Amino acid sequence: MDDSILLKVEKPAKYTGNEWNMVKKNPENVDVRFAFCFPDDYEIGMSHLGMKILYHVLNKREDTYCERCFAPWADMEALLKEKGLPLYTLETYTPLSEFDLVGFTLQYEMSFTNILNMLNLGGIPVLAKDRKEGDPFVLAGGPCACNPEPLADFIDFFVIGEGEEVINEIIDEYKDWKKSGENREQFLMRVARIEGVYVPSFYDVSYNQDGTVKEIRPNISGIPEKVKRRIIKDMDSVDFPDDIIVPYVGTVHDRIMLELFRGCIRGCRFCQAGFIYRPVREKSPEKLLEQAKSSVKKTGYEEISLVSLSTSDYSGLFDLCNNLIEYTEKEKVSLSLPSLRVDNFTLGLMEKASKVRKSGLTFAPEAGTQRLRDVINKGVTEEDLLASVKLAVAGGWNSVKLYFMIGLPTETMEDVYGIADLGIKLIESCRTLPGDAGKSLKITLSTSCFVPKPFTPFQWEPMDTMESLMEKQHNLKDRIRKLTRITYNYHDAKLSMLEAVLARGDRKVGRVIYTAWKKGCKFDGWDEFFSFDKWMEAFREEGIDPMFYANRRREFSEVLPWDHIDMGISKAFLQKECEKAHEGDLTRNCAVGCSLCGAQDYKTGICVRTRRSV
Amino acid sequence: MAKSLRFRFSRGEGLKYLAHLDILRVFERALKRSGLNVSYTQGFNPRQRLVFGLPMSIGLTSEAEYADIVLEEDVTPEYFIETLNRSLPEGIRLHEAVELNNKENIMNQIAAARYIVPFETSEDISQEEMENLIYRMLSKEEILVEKKTKKGMRQTNIRQMIYSISATKKGSGIFELEAFLSAGAESNLRADLLMEAIKKETGLDIRVISIHRKALYASTFNEWKNPLEVANA
Repeated sequence: MDDSILLKVEKPAKYTGNEWNMVKKNPENVDVRFAFCFPDDYEIGMSHLGMKILYHVLNKREDTYCERCFAPWADMEALLKEKGLPLYTLETYTPLSEFDLVGFTLQYEMSFTNILNMLNLGGIPVLAKDRKEGDPFVLAGGPCACNPEPLADFIDFFVIGEGEEVINEIIDEYKDWKKSGENREQFLMRVARIEGVYVPSFYDVSYNQDGTVKEIRPNISGIPEKVKRRIIKDMDSVDFPDDIIVPYVGTVHDRIMLELFRGCIRGCRFCQAGFIYRPVREKSPEKLLEQAKSSVKKTGYEEISLVSLSTSDYSGLFDLCNNLIEYTEKEKVSLSLPSLRVDNFTLGLMEKASKVRKSGLTFAPEAGTQRLRDVINKGVTEEDLLASVKLAVAGGWNSVKLYFMIGLPTETMEDVYGIADLGIKLIESCRTLPGDAGKSLKITLSTSCFVPKPFTPFQWEPMDTMESLMEKQHNLKDRIRKLTRITYNYHDAKLSMLEAVLARGDRKVGRVIYTAWKKGCKFDGWDEFFSFDKWMEAFREEGIDPMFYANRRREFSEVLPWDHIDMGISKAFLQKECEKAHEGDLTRNCAVGCSLCGAQDYKTGICVRTRRSV
Repeated sequence: MAKSLRFRFSRGEGLKYLAHLDILRVFERALKRSGLNVSYTQGFNPRQRLVFGLPMSIGLTSEAEYADIVLEEDVTPEYFIETLNRSLPEGIRLHEAVELNNKENIMNQIAAARYIVPFETSEDISQEEMENLIYRMLSKEEILVEKKTKKGMRQTNIRQMIYSISATKKGSGIFELEAFLSAGAESNLRADLLMEAIKKETGLDIRVISIHRKALYASTFNEWKNPLEVANA
């Protein structure tokens, strides 16, 4: 890498590595070289906590060197190609093709084409079946691995669930295999026997006449019919990095991330994260405080953010915040508290925690009417929301952002208009607050398009059609147009439709991903790159109807493409939740009582803890 | 022992791809790691009391960057240098520090910079020919270049910002330019922009090899001084 490349690209420091805390090892002195790949830009990838954890876990081993690689931005990709240079890792500038193991994290569906692109740029055959002895093994994990089928053609094996323990078992197996002189397939046989590992080439899929899946079965003996998700049982004993890499260029989450717990008690029916990370497992406040302090010392970061799916549900929040605020104030570190439910206690915390301007506060009612909020099991009432916003406005916040989804199951136009009505009610009710606070309140309503995901109660539901979503967006926009204090934003329905296909696709969808990539699709999550037309061409050429995957209602009896993956949530429970959704029945959260979702079989976390009294 | 210090640091090849804001963050976080008791500004968003003399653009190496810092404790310059260097990444190094009593903002004190720019020309010309080309360029009253401003591209006359330039032949088709240019908050000429102007004015096909900042100067009564020398003026 020299000036002839680096002075021609935007933010060249994304490609040079050598950041503070980067791990340096001599590659000649290790047995296993692992390339951890994040299929998006450096600024996104370096914000990802999972990558920091696995980088730390792998590099703690003396026999292994884990290095990082990110998707090069288009300017860099063009220069690499022009100069005939392969995609390389930041630690030692080694091409991806020279590694033993190349691992991708699957955080969102719209990064799939980047995986193909990175493999190709790194000199690795894109299709798993084309890889030969001596080529790296390509593995993948992360939330999107819960339906691995659309990527089955490209990935040698998937890790289902949390990677901290499994990854060590894989490395051990790799070392043994390397010594044994066995062939490629024999290594895959070895890892296929590790709990939580799925090798797609060892499973055959057959289809019915109508295109639905008939059966998914192992084609060799000695491997499980269902691959069971792995989890960490004790969050306090698991290794957590305090010496994280401090990037030179500003990243999206450029701060210390303190993970409070995994999982979520809530069970909102649209939310995949709420089901696939169960059960809730907390870290102790003492452990977190210790990790916060050592992280600040080793990184010099000026900000700590608490990370979880719902900060307010952390049982040790009061203890932790009291101690943490005392420390951060002294050290001039700011503390941010995302995804808090607003009440008197949390507002006080926010006030104390960060001295930043009171600009915006975010709420996520998700749906515009109580009926629909009950359908999705979002336990928030209009009164709750009004009370919270009034509190915030009285406390000095003058702009409020509300997140909703359109296209939720059972939604009518009345529910859509309910979104506008809620905004209007908030403005009206704050007008009467004493002082000027309420009179300058500005509200932003933001809608995304609901995408049904595997392992949620809505996994059988059709996604709303693009036409219907666009009509709803249009009507809502029209309703809000004259209201000067309300702004309306919405997501691209085309992008969401594609996300829906990739999320619930089967192996046939892999061909579409391949063809779309061949046509130049990459960075699909970025407006400046996303090409709906190219994707539609790819669907046509492969003879695949996107609506079959996005907009079709599945029967409860249908074999789903991900039925051979066991995420620890029972299908019967999800079906019952789906039926309850259509009745508008609520389900209690895990802190109140157990609903026997299946996660109790892990025998840990909230499933075995004494519950809160209500 | 001092609470306020002015220091000189260098940045080498490894970190030359950082933008000015990135360098700022590197220092802020290194100071935090170092355990030095840095003084913060009051108010909503407390910031370390750290000011840099002149921004550094991407691609530039330097042996003459200056910054001022205020601490809450008295330290010796030697202790400060040693402690902070331990927390800085390879590629940025402190070399000198002095007690600071001058209250004027360092950014307003910086007035000139000296650059070393090795470059290649596609045709091999003699030392004399090069001198003539440069002499002809400097004889003009107006040297116009396109300068990026907040409002877009704008034509600027940079003649007054060039105090002196000289080129020395180092090999076949290779020269080293030494340029003494106006620098600082009031009027600043970047070396890469100067090179663009030389390309245009001389008609030579030039490829810049690297740009290195050799020195920064503060101006006092028409005398050029090292910024450390005026720290107690």
